[in-house]
Amino acid sequence: MKVKYSVLFLAAAMILAFPAAMRAETVEDGNTIVTIVRAPEQTRAERPPCFPDPADDFIPLPDTENIAEGKPVQASEHNDVYVSSNLNDGSVQTYWESKGFPAVLTIDLEGVYTVSTAAFCLNPSAIWEPRKQEIAVLVSTDGENFTEAAAAAVYQFDAATGNRVRIDFAPTEAAYVRVVITSNSSSNSKGAQIAEICIY
Amino acid sequence: MKRIGKFLLIILAVMCAAAALLPAASGEQSKTLLTIYEGPKTMESSKIASVNVNGYDLFVYDVMVNHEHIWNANTQPSSTPMTYFDFSGEVRIEIRMPGLEQQVESAKVLPEAAGIIPEVQEGTVSFAIAEPGQYTVVFNGSVNKALHIFANPPEENAPDPDDPNVFYIGPGEWVMDAILLENNQTLYISGGAVVHSIISVANADNVRICGRGMIDGSDYPAWNQPGSSARVPVNLDHSKNITVEDIIVANSNCWNVNSYSCKNVTMNNVKVISGRQNGDGFTFQSCTNHTVTNCFARTWDDSLVIKNYSGSSKGITFKNCQIWTDLAQSMEIGYETDKGMTLDPEISEVLFEDITVLYNFHKPVISIHNSDDAFVHDITYRNIVVENAFMQGDNGNNKELIEMTLQNSSWSTVKDEFGSIDNVLIDGLTVLNTADGKIPRSRFSGHDEEHRITNVTLQNVTILGNRMASLKDMKLSVDDYCDGITVR
Repeated sequence: MKVKYSVLFLAAAMILAFPAAMRAETVEDGNTIVTIVRAPEQTRAERPPCFPDPADDFIPLPDTENIAEGKPVQASEHNDVYVSSNLNDGSVQTYWESKGFPAVLTIDLEGVYTVSTAAFCLNPSAIWEPRKQEIAVLVSTDGENFTEAAAAAVYQFDAATGNRVRIDFAPTEAAYVRVVITSNSSSNSKGAQIAEICIY
Repeated sequence: MKRIGKFLLIILAVMCAAAALLPAASGEQSKTLLTIYEGPKTMESSKIASVNVNGYDLFVYDVMVNHEHIWNANTQPSSTPMTYFDFSGEVRIEIRMPGLEQQVESAKVLPEAAGIIPEVQEGTVSFAIAEPGQYTVVFNGSVNKALHIFANPPEENAPDPDDPNVFYIGPGEWVMDAILLENNQTLYISGGAVVHSIISVANADNVRICGRGMIDGSDYPAWNQPGSSARVPVNLDHSKNITVEDIIVANSNCWNVNSYSCKNVTMNNVKVISGRQNGDGFTFQSCTNHTVTNCFARTWDDSLVIKNYSGSSKGITFKNCQIWTDLAQSMEIGYETDKGMTLDPEISEVLFEDITVLYNFHKPVISIHNSDDAFVHDITYRNIVVENAFMQGDNGNNKELIEMTLQNSSWSTVKDEFGSIDNVLIDGLTVLNTADGKIPRSRFSGHDEEHRITNVTLQNVTILGNRMASLKDMKLSVDDYCDGITVR
């Protein structure tokens, strides 16, 4: 009996020796003490839990199509090489930077859509320090007469949430979306900064 | 309640500690300890091989290898089975090979020095092992679908998963683009884990990579294919005080365990198997104080490699390692010895000791190709056993057993200056088999009067059972720019 108890104790010790992340069973089989390390139930390869996906904390964007991508865009004069075509090229690695304020950009949606969300993205890399920009969103069906969809307000851009700002407003018809940015708290900028504007 | 809970936990901990001591007092020390790891539920065990140890089925992985023994930029790798477990004491392994076209009639367990004679009955191969190590089983006299078994010692010093500096990856199949490790961090890859990712350690100090699991690169095309790029599974770059232990590196899309301009690096019981382009095993450039022990490399390119990319290399030791070289050289110094065009580059104080070459199929087993202008000196090879020296070379060239040269090559950066090689000792070299049953040639070639190969001693060399006593015995050709070449 002494041996049996010691084996039980040994088994308990070995199970505890395996971290909670590792499910292990230990059994005595004749002269062998066998530990079987079990695999978790999975249906596909997953991201290791010890490396939380930073995207999990990103501000979510609508699942619907971004109707601004690749559409014609007009914008205030840009700074340096940060041209307006970067605004809706589908990449947050490139960005538009205006030369001063107010910075105005207008996107031609090339058709009338019911829109209810405008999202503004910067590069999510942590090297982009947090900043605030004051943004207003206006819409138009003819490109001449714009009405306010979202009044000017100061929004926080933070890499921890994907450097994204999402502005939801009452659904409205729009063929053109105009954005007016009147401030940017970043000391490293010459004006407004947007890597990608998305309209849903 | 919280206090009671804590109290019970303490009691339990004390009991477990006491239990850990009990075996010694009750004769438990003689028991065999065996740990086996389930494979990920998302993967299937190999259909080529089924393996059990003491009756417990092991998960068998099919990993990429390459039986083309000539360079091919668009090669398509084959696969071979691999499995692993941990143990102490003695265990019995049973193998069946349903994936072979013919029933297994014979089997050989490598390394031969282990002295294991397997039993073969009705297609089942079985044998016992009492020492942890790396074992390779060859069936029916063919290297096709050779089985690699990594029988690890019991795991010790696993990191605390609750330590905030520990990234702990448990069993299962995992994927992420890259794992970047910084100062004082540990990455643990548990047995039973398959991690589709790469590990990068750049400008870091005191980093540990450990665990019995596998880093797998199978989800990317070979690095030289359109749209792909090199994803080095373990990449150390300008770092120091790094430890890499126990992991398996398989299916890389390029080279494997890479260290560039690092110092104070130890690697132990790391196993590499590669089958794709430029799949070098352990490759170090401009590094100092690296020690590689008890490792395994089956590679479709150089197995153990030392180069200079930016500065000198010094104090590199490979000890008690097994290698199987499907392509290129087994133990290569060069070709790049001054890729960074630095001042007075050297490669020195390099030791290869207790190395077993299971197979070499292509180019020299021992080679120093000083293809730039470095001073390569104080290089020692001690107790090297080549079980199968099958160098087929390229079109009749590069099929030497040992080669040392001071010539330009397609890998040269410094093309108008040349270096030298001095003070090389090969003490204990045994070749058991060659492809044609003859003693293979060897070749030393300096460059000019100023750039010579000097003071190379070969002693205790036995090839095909014949003790070598002269250059002629060894079929060693030496040109006019070599001095002090001695065989004794």
